[in-house]
Amino acid sequence: MGEPARYLYAVTRGLAPAVLDGVCGQAGERLEMLGVLDLEAVVSTVDLDEFGEDALHENLEHLDWIERTARAHDAVVQACAAAAPTAPMRLATVCLDDQSVRLRLEEWYDELAAALDRVAGREEWSVKVFAHPAPTTAVMEPAEPALAGGAAYLRRKKAATEERRAAEARSLRAVEAVDRELRGISVAARHLRAQDPRLSGHAGTMLLNAAYLVEAGDARRFTELVAELVRTHPGVSIGCDGPWPPYSFATLDRS
Amino acid sequence: MTELRNDSVERRPGPSAASPYADRQPRPASLADVLDRVLDKGIVIAGDIQVNLLDIELLTIKIRLLVASVDRAQEMGIDWWKNDPMLSGRDDKLAEENRELKRRVQELEARRG
Repeated sequence: MGEPARYLYAVTRGLAPAVLDGVCGQAGERLEMLGVLDLEAVVSTVDLDEFGEDALHENLEHLDWIERTARAHDAVVQACAAAAPTAPMRLATVCLDDQSVRLRLEEWYDELAAALDRVAGREEWSVKVFAHPAPTTAVMEPAEPALAGGAAYLRRKKAATEERRAAEARSLRAVEAVDRELRGISVAARHLRAQDPRLSGHAGTMLLNAAYLVEAGDARRFTELVAELVRTHPGVSIGCDGPWPPYSFATLDRS
Repeated sequence: MTELRNDSVERRPGPSAASPYADRQPRPASLADVLDRVLDKGIVIAGDIQVNLLDIELLTIKIRLLVASVDRAQEMGIDWWKNDPMLSGRDDKLAEENRELKRRVQELEARRG
């Protein structure tokens, strides 16, 4: 065992300690709360042999470690967000002791309180839009190669290009419409980077990877609207996932 | 992430009328979606342990390529990253394969000579 340190999962306001019963932190450690004014830091003990600087550099290169650590982090944040306004921390926020954690909360108190105000009673929903895979080969390959003259080939090629451009334009209009509608019943929206199409596991290109901050009371309206958009935009695939803790919206603004 | 088409509306975990979070444990979210959030989002407060965020960003890009859907990829039998020492930390199998090939080459050369 190396030296112990404190891993900070989230900052909450008014979290009941019982919420953390049955939830484990990194490496199965017990979760604890450190109070600073009306805020709580949700922490657990980690080993610097695993979460020290050198160890993190090493561990962050290993997908298995990242998955385990990310899921443990997320599980704690989920439990907190289900029960109280929660500002999730970035993965691997580590302080040497409780006093150091408290100092961070005091230093950032105003910004943390403002972030919690923005997300209180709201939740994050993820919506992704995919283009349908393009039927390229069927258009480009003539049925009987022997009959494919040069002019015919060029005509087919031009038609295929035009069709592809038109399809792209239709998809983009659908994305804009979907995004506009969803923003209409959201408090805020963020566009995340698209996940790479080469390995996304989806045949179509990811056109939109968006997060919407929605009033908890509007969650049903939101998912119903997504269902409606799925029906009205058959030209694209729409995926919806949530609710998430407000990862994309709990941010610190220090002006 | 659940993909929706036409009239099929599925999602996970769905909110119940009583509590939107009631049925969300355990959450089967895709790793790519979790990483999108815990590596890229969330509040950044510098702790005592300094992690080079630039390194993480670079790593994230590599992971992003990789795990956009690990589950799906594994279903399809795509698991090459498990043999990428940079990503899995496990190069035993490759090393073993290498040793075996070298041994066979030596054997063949010995027979010829």
